[in-house]
Amino acid sequence: MSRLRLGAIAFAVLGLFAALAYLRDPPWLLSMTSGLREERHDPADRTFRTMAGHASFFVPTDAASVEIPLRGVFESEKDWPITVTIAIDDRLADRLTLTDASWRVSTLRLPPPSRRRVRRIDIRADRTRADQRAVEVGEWKSIRP
Amino acid sequence: MSRWVVRVAAAICAAGYVFVYASGRAGPPIRSDGFSYYVYLPSWFIYHDSSLAAVAEDCCGGQFPDFTAIIRWPGTRQWVNAHPIGVAIMQAPLFLVAHALTRWSNLSADGFTFYYQHAAGIAGLAWVIAGLWVLRRVLLRHFPDRIVAATLAAVLLGTNLLHYATYDSSYSHPYSFFLFAAFMDLTERWHENPTWRTSVLLGLVGGLIILVRHTNALFLVFFPLYGVANATSMSVTAARLRRHRQLVAAAVATAAIIVAPQLALYYQATGRPLVSSYGELGFNFLAPQLWGVLFSVQKGVFFWSPILLLAVAGLILTRGAARNFLLPAVTFLTVNTYLIASWFDWQFGGSFGHRGFVDALPVFAIGLASLFSRAASSVAARATVTTICTALIALSLFQMLQYWNGVLPFSDTTWPQYRAAFLRLK
Repeated sequence: MSRLRLGAIAFAVLGLFAALAYLRDPPWLLSMTSGLREERHDPADRTFRTMAGHASFFVPTDAASVEIPLRGVFESEKDWPITVTIAIDDRLADRLTLTDASWRVSTLRLPPPSRRRVRRIDIRADRTRADQRAVEVGEWKSIRP
Repeated sequence: MSRWVVRVAAAICAAGYVFVYASGRAGPPIRSDGFSYYVYLPSWFIYHDSSLAAVAEDCCGGQFPDFTAIIRWPGTRQWVNAHPIGVAIMQAPLFLVAHALTRWSNLSADGFTFYYQHAAGIAGLAWVIAGLWVLRRVLLRHFPDRIVAATLAAVLLGTNLLHYATYDSSYSHPYSFFLFAAFMDLTERWHENPTWRTSVLLGLVGGLIILVRHTNALFLVFFPLYGVANATSMSVTAARLRRHRQLVAAAVATAAIIVAPQLALYYQATGRPLVSSYGELGFNFLAPQLWGVLFSVQKGVFFWSPILLLAVAGLILTRGAARNFLLPAVTFLTVNTYLIASWFDWQFGGSFGHRGFVDALPVFAIGLASLFSRAASSVAARATVTTICTALIALSLFQMLQYWNGVLPFSDTTWPQYRAAFLRLK
């Protein structure tokens, strides 16, 4: 194997490790969401995003708590309630039953800061309505100590 | 030279992919049909469930969206997916990388977050490049390198292949493009020198062709019809197949093993090994929309990729050993066109050009290379073909950008719409 080829392999391996180290805790995670549709506004000008069965987003690890406004999607009064579970880094943190279309706020106390910059919040709904709509998620607030 | 064309093609596809997603022109890669093809992977690897029920619970509150063509089978109430497992199998290596990265970065490991999305998108792109590489190998056996280079460039840029390598790369077509090229390559190698290895590979690729898109089983006619041109060559081919019947059996057995898990899934969900989850929707063989499929402004393959008309002319002009592909090509293209034209939704929903023909581009490539090869012998013909192809490639690329910008409709394009949008990017 030539020196040039050895050098190229060494460079590639180093690059791979550097990329993995960066991706362990990248700063852009804080702005990343999944399972949430585009922003909309309700008549009271409250901003919200609709989710289907599962959505996730990130909050800073040094926050003491986070407040998440939630509202179930109801098409008629006879609709079944929607049960929502919320997890912080895969640990169950709250469970709410939304029985009507009014806003509810889930306040979660966050564990002490971890080695990562962010904590992941997952919201899961047990059912969806037409067009894959289950819950409307308002603007969440991270509260620092 | 053709080696460089494949490398440049990879760079163009990568740039197009980044452009499409960085500019927000397309939604996340796992969408529309791409969702149904992909959904097996989170179901198998994350939820350890072959019924799709657990992934339906997590992603979608228990019900898959209507656009997915995943239905609850009457009677059993189990999920049946109209789109088979082949694409998911070919996406699996990148999916596993994405799963590891997702865990590493602490994203939600639900199968639909950032890394999973782009693993599915990039897998399609990678299979198109692999398909071009294999197609190059097939073409180089029959044509000079510069002809092969021109053919590969024309196939990628003059048709909707670039679109299906970038914007809609999670659909089945990039995978079928690769598999068709590989099947042609292996068929030719087998008929030249039949070996156990080539036979097993033929079975593997043939099985995957069926698993990616069931109706593409029709493409397997390339194997028995290769080299057949008249009664004499037919008896020679038949004698060869009989002489090597053990190898043929090995190929068939391999294909059967590859297809078996799909039949098991159908059986698990419905109690039957063969089903159509399209319900009453299906083929209307008595009223095929042949004009619409071939020439209409709505989705006509020759209207949106007119360079393929040259390919058809080239197929007829094919000479030498490349002519071994002629009968299987004509048989496949004819029957496949009739099948597509008979499908209840002959436009195949939203698409740039007619996506039903992307799979067959390696076949058209033989015709294009033949035409280029003929034209190369005369200065005037070369200049004419070069000018026409350059213009058609420019038109195809421009129309692809129009589609990406939303200037051209996803389907049901009318002539007034086409005229109003002609050469307009916004």
